Amino acid sequence: MSDPLDGVRVLDFGLLTAGANTSAMLADLGADVLKIESGAYLDPFRVVGKIDNDEGWWNRSPQFRFTNRNKRGLAINLKDKQGQQVIRELAAHCDVVVENFRRGVLDRAGLGYADLKEANPRIVFAAISSQGDTGPERLNVSFGSTLDATSGIAALTGYEGEEPRISGMDVNYPDQIVSLFAAGIVITAVMEARRTGRGCFLDFSQREVASFTLGEEILAASVNRERRYERRGNREDGIALQDAFRCRDGRWIAVTSEANDAAIERLCAANDCATALQMLKKKGVAAAPCNDGNDLLRDKALAGVSLVRDRDGRLVKGLPYSLDGRGLAIERPAPDLGQHTEEVLRALLGYDDAKLRALAEAGVTSTTPTIGEI
Amino acid sequence: MSDNNALPLSRFTIIELNDAGMPVPLRLAASLAGKIAADLGATVLKIEPAEGDPVRRLPPFLSHGESALFQFLNTSKQSVRLGRGTLPDLLAKAQACLFEEPSSLAEMVRKSPATPIELAAFPVGMEPMPFSEFTVLALGGLLHMVGEPDRKPLRLGGHQASYAAGFAAFTGLATALAARDAGRSAPGVRVSLTEVMQWVNWKAASGAEASGKSPGREGKGSEFQIVPCKDGYVAVVYTVTQWPAVRALVGDRRLEDKKFATRAERRDNVAELYAILRPWFADKTRAEIQALAQAKGVPFGPIFSPSELLESEQYLARGFLTKFGGGKIPQLPVQWNGRSFAPRAMA
Repeated sequence: MSDPLDGVRVLDFGLLTAGANTSAMLADLGADVLKIESGAYLDPFRVVGKIDNDEGWWNRSPQFRFTNRNKRGLAINLKDKQGQQVIRELAAHCDVVVENFRRGVLDRAGLGYADLKEANPRIVFAAISSQGDTGPERLNVSFGSTLDATSGIAALTGYEGEEPRISGMDVNYPDQIVSLFAAGIVITAVMEARRTGRGCFLDFSQREVASFTLGEEILAASVNRERRYERRGNREDGIALQDAFRCRDGRWIAVTSEANDAAIERLCAANDCATALQMLKKKGVAAAPCNDGNDLLRDKALAGVSLVRDRDGRLVKGLPYSLDGRGLAIERPAPDLGQHTEEVLRALLGYDDAKLRALAEAGVTSTTPTIGEI
Repeated sequence: MSDNNALPLSRFTIIELNDAGMPVPLRLAASLAGKIAADLGATVLKIEPAEGDPVRRLPPFLSHGESALFQFLNTSKQSVRLGRGTLPDLLAKAQACLFEEPSSLAEMVRKSPATPIELAAFPVGMEPMPFSEFTVLALGGLLHMVGEPDRKPLRLGGHQASYAAGFAAFTGLATALAARDAGRSAPGVRVSLTEVMQWVNWKAASGAEASGKSPGREGKGSEFQIVPCKDGYVAVVYTVTQWPAVRALVGDRRLEDKKFATRAERRDNVAELYAILRPWFADKTRAEIQALAQAKGVPFGPIFSPSELLESEQYLARGFLTKFGGGKIPQLPVQWNGRSFAPRAMA
């Protein structure tokens, strides 16, 4: 049986979550994703997720492994003229480019949309950035929860009457949702490119994706400029009772009730979490335990298709949906740095031993980093 | 997009089947996926129950009592009310159908020529229970991540549980359409809010697996804090390599103390760190702070409310917010060859 994106090839410059996960979602649907890094610039997940300092540490980061399974990995120096030429040749064999560099980085390397379109007019070029490719703030630096703040989400998050809150460095929520949307738009654009023979430039602003999730609030604010935004804890308009309550065993239960029933808080306080949940369920009240990461690992039924193990038995990210009732098949674990450089350059570009050796000796290709901390 | 350039999904017809009595969080997710497809040009037929989609009666409200939530989620669609007799005919003409899983019509859709895109609360095989977006955030572990460790966990603002699932359903829908368009059999898509939340919150599972200890809300113990300034609040956020730039920006010699040298040390001494940082913010506005920080390459985030976003220079320059009804609404967060997808009023 063929996968939905069989025959689609992706040149993946995606880093961390926003970029690398957009191309991971395409890989999971059957696309051949070629992840491009270089010895001089690793995906930062290889570094921030470092678990030891021994030889090959850059190939052992769990965060990198979670996000880059099902891809092939190439290491080609984008700052080198020969490396740039290799990329342009690869682009001729690809349908999609995904990148989330700071604006202008690929343009300066002669690898921006204008350059790659020349190599391949059918290319769909997905540029993911914090602010978008245009506008006065296009070059602004941003890191994860910066966008919780500037998108509006933080203003609506916090304890009653207190300061705003961000999702923080262990969530970086705006980074997580962009790929869920961007992957669908890229697939739509690939469909159009197949039909018309013309690719396109897709300009995604992560901040806009995050603000888009507050569409109704922005619309309401635009007709009522007096509308106040206060932190309201866990309460929501139109819902009688919604909050987290601590149980006798110290665990928290999240409750949403159509009746503002003070007995619910007492019920939680007087019982262990499991008992309280049973009692609330009997009452027909929406209630759930506040799970942590270990709970998510323990409960296989709850995890569904969202987590999966690769062939080496290591845990990686699964799918946000099931397709024909199935979850994700991990065809290959996340690549070591430059693991597939030779394989891909031979098969797609017909490079021979001498040419590959010359590129390696010139430092254009590599399998080890030339940098330390990022 | 301009009139002479057909919208990318204009060849497709999609049914958004709103059965009566379905849980609202699933409706919000299905409607968001349908809205994105509709704004991209698909003919989206929203089949409402006889009494109307209950989202029409949910807050926030506009000046004449219309629901801003309903307006936002249903742009560019056609609203249809019909008897069940004509549903098979519509399904026969559609390429895909979005619906909520407990629908009594689910089997009919699954057997139809339209590819089913199902929105559910829980993974297959998990025992169903009453739920809300809030309890889904708890199940998926996201609730555990926000707030103070010794106080109650906090939800993120907005309809994040439903909308993240709506994004996923749209990508599933696009996948199905692309497969059909390439002459392949399209997979049926099932999205559960609980799985999407866990997927979004993957670092909790990754962190717990790597160290045995789950990441959780750190509150005032986090290196990243929200600090008050002259006209509001700013999120203090920076990478390890940006710490020297933060020091240069704030310009207080005490920050050079070796007890702040590494991330671990800054966290161990976080109260002291912020005692030094806070005064720098107190006498500056968000705009001043952002300008000074950006000039040094520091990604501090001024906190904006939804109403303040209406004045954002960046959003104005990009035309992200467009006129709609009597107000302004965000367009799809993508520009395609420089063009945006202006939402149309529901027909």
